[in-house]
Amino acid sequence: MDYNQRIEEALTIIWEEREKKISNKDAIAKRFLEAVNEDVSESLLSEGFVLIEKDIIKFSNKGESKARDIIRRQRLAERLLMDVLELGRREVDSSACAFEHILSKEVEESICTLLGHPKECPHGLSIPAGACCEKAKGLIESIVIPLTKLKVAETGKIVYVLTRNHPQLHRLMSFGIVPGARIKLHQTQPSVIIQVEETQVALEEEIAKEIYIKKIS
Amino acid sequence: MNIILVGNANVGKSVIFNALTRSYVTVSNYPGTTVDISKGIAKLGLQNFTVYDTPGINSLIVHSEDEKVTRDILSKSDITCVVQVADSKNLKRSLVLTLELIELGLPLVLNLNMSDEAKERGISIDIKKLSQKLGIDIVETVAVTGEGIPKLKEAISRAKTTQPPKGFTVFSSDEIASLRKKNQKIEELLRDILRISKPKAKSASEFIGALTVSPISGIPILIVVLFIMYLFVGRLAAVWGVDFFENKIFGQYINPFLGGIIDKFIPIPIVKEFLMGQYGIISMAVTYAFAIIFPIVTAFFLFFGILEDSGYLPRLSVLSDKVFRIIGLNGRAILPMVLGLGCGTMATLTSRILETKKERILVSIILTLAIPCSAQLGVIMAMLSQFSLRAFLLWFSTILFVIITIGFLSSRLVPGKRSPFIQELPPMRFPQIANIIVKTGARLKWYLKEAVPLFILGTFILFVSDKIGLLNLIERVLSPFIVVWLHLPKETTAAFIIGFLRRDYGAAGLYQLARAGVLDKIQIFVSLIVITLFVPCIAQFFVTVKERGLKVALMIAGFVFLFAFLAGGLLNHLLRYLILVKGIAVL
Repeated sequence: MDYNQRIEEALTIIWEEREKKISNKDAIAKRFLEAVNEDVSESLLSEGFVLIEKDIIKFSNKGESKARDIIRRQRLAERLLMDVLELGRREVDSSACAFEHILSKEVEESICTLLGHPKECPHGLSIPAGACCEKAKGLIESIVIPLTKLKVAETGKIVYVLTRNHPQLHRLMSFGIVPGARIKLHQTQPSVIIQVEETQVALEEEIAKEIYIKKIS
Repeated sequence: MNIILVGNANVGKSVIFNALTRSYVTVSNYPGTTVDISKGIAKLGLQNFTVYDTPGINSLIVHSEDEKVTRDILSKSDITCVVQVADSKNLKRSLVLTLELIELGLPLVLNLNMSDEAKERGISIDIKKLSQKLGIDIVETVAVTGEGIPKLKEAISRAKTTQPPKGFTVFSSDEIASLRKKNQKIEELLRDILRISKPKAKSASEFIGALTVSPISGIPILIVVLFIMYLFVGRLAAVWGVDFFENKIFGQYINPFLGGIIDKFIPIPIVKEFLMGQYGIISMAVTYAFAIIFPIVTAFFLFFGILEDSGYLPRLSVLSDKVFRIIGLNGRAILPMVLGLGCGTMATLTSRILETKKERILVSIILTLAIPCSAQLGVIMAMLSQFSLRAFLLWFSTILFVIITIGFLSSRLVPGKRSPFIQELPPMRFPQIANIIVKTGARLKWYLKEAVPLFILGTFILFVSDKIGLLNLIERVLSPFIVVWLHLPKETTAAFIIGFLRRDYGAAGLYQLARAGVLDKIQIFVSLIVITLFVPCIAQFFVTVKERGLKVALMIAGFVFLFAFLAGGLLNHLLRYLILVKGIAVL
């Protein structure tokens, strides 16, 4: 691992720990040792990526935006491998790490668009929004779209279901609304009605928005 | 020696239960008809078995109270056989539960019900192969016609504990991941077992189903359905039926006949009065129960049964979801509400299908406050149809207004969350006349058993209070409320007193007064609003205590009582103001 890769890895570690509400300098230094065999805190400091106040390590503006980019690429890569190439969880985890270092800005944006500007990685962690998510909303046709973008009478294959609420997800799954299932959209107002196999299910729009599909023509 | 029927919602467990036990539990075409366990005895060969019918579940991992009931019973000891009833046309979904049941290691039979509907849709299942792969007996049935039931019985008596076949692993405890794996496994399992041959043409049932949920055609259809109900229950049964029973059957035959016997053989005046007087057991309790309410509830239960079996009710949840959101609920709440039009007691139990505690409390409040039960609704329709459809519509909109305002306010006050709307829509089916008749019969029997004793008790209380002068006293004490605030004659006090036992009995009392010409239009209208919003009947109150706890039930009842009189009085003064000062006759 060269110097740059080590720095990038370290930045992801700080980001991920921050998601777990951990910002203690020593705890993070320990994670550095595990991941890159070196406490890179000093280098990060001298590069101006982080600030250290007492025991707390946190991003500088520069570090924040760099880390954000890396995380975004990594998680987009995970989604791409899992949803489009349909690889298993283990392959995804090992390849996505390598991906993040080689994706260019353009490639990143087109992947994001292709995937329908996803909000979460397969592990359920949030993907930082990029410029493309803000401006290109609906401009380029995405391959993976939320169910609400489907037209009545069109059919799609479920790619993933994005919901943080377990009972809800469980209900959907027990109706057969699972990744891989083919669904047909019957109507959108006053409630969304879809058909999976021989089961018809009515959903409110907020739930339908969380079901991402690939259109089948 | 227990047999337990389990399965997804709305697959026909109750029909199978009835076929196995030759008893009757309610069968309808919507998920959530069964919310509690029913028990019955089945004779298979020479042995007697206890059969349990259970609420539908999608998986052994439960998320609502009715599902919990089912899971708990599976941990019962001495289970001879678990019969999973499954919808043949939704095999994939059903197998999720099958895999979980196999993991439990109990003797299991898979019953593929509604195999006729699957065949119509061109779905064919290689039963033999599937049975081998799963290591369990599989029996196809069409329960409503009885096809396949003997085979099912054989399979049950044969069932023994099966070892899960090789390759069955108990999945990880992470429920979502394990569901995902199960679904993958099922896909593999069914690869050469499930065939769908015909490209699907839209059937009439699907076409009608789609019409009922689209906003353009759905709302007119709903209005037509309500109007037919008004004609059938409010006009045909409540006017013609009641007249026939009361004046012909009771007026010309039963009452003169009984009156004659009593005159002849019972010379004691007080006993005579007890039976045939103003508050007499026969002249009041029995006449109200059989002559006034019986024809009305019969019509209502018939109509309601048809609606239930057609699959229309869950479709109403699609149309009403947005309205229910205003009051902190989702469209699923329409089911307990509509069932409340049948019987508030049963409906309070059905509120179990709702996910959050907040939703269940809100539904209990609305059921207690503003949903009239069939008997009461029938009497109300009968009284209002005497003067105009406009009066009926005004009553309807007043009640709707109350539901929305009170629902909105209490949704702000009751802590907790609204769950998102996810509702399965069963296929529309042509109702089976035999089931409607049996169901109506069972409900009428239940109604008579529950209502008549309370009618007699209520009459008895009135009779005694009248004799000892208590009634007079109560009338005088309540006179500021009844006479001054509500502008009602003091005779209505008796109707409100018996309303504490059953609202429909109270309504029947008002009906008699109205027909005797004691009440004017505004008085009829105001008294109807008060009795509609009045405290729940005793049975409903106890079920609310059981389901929501004593504190919540008392709070609801107290609020409802005050609100009923407050709302009635305000309406009374408003209507009188309009007619006297502005010269506008609303009614």
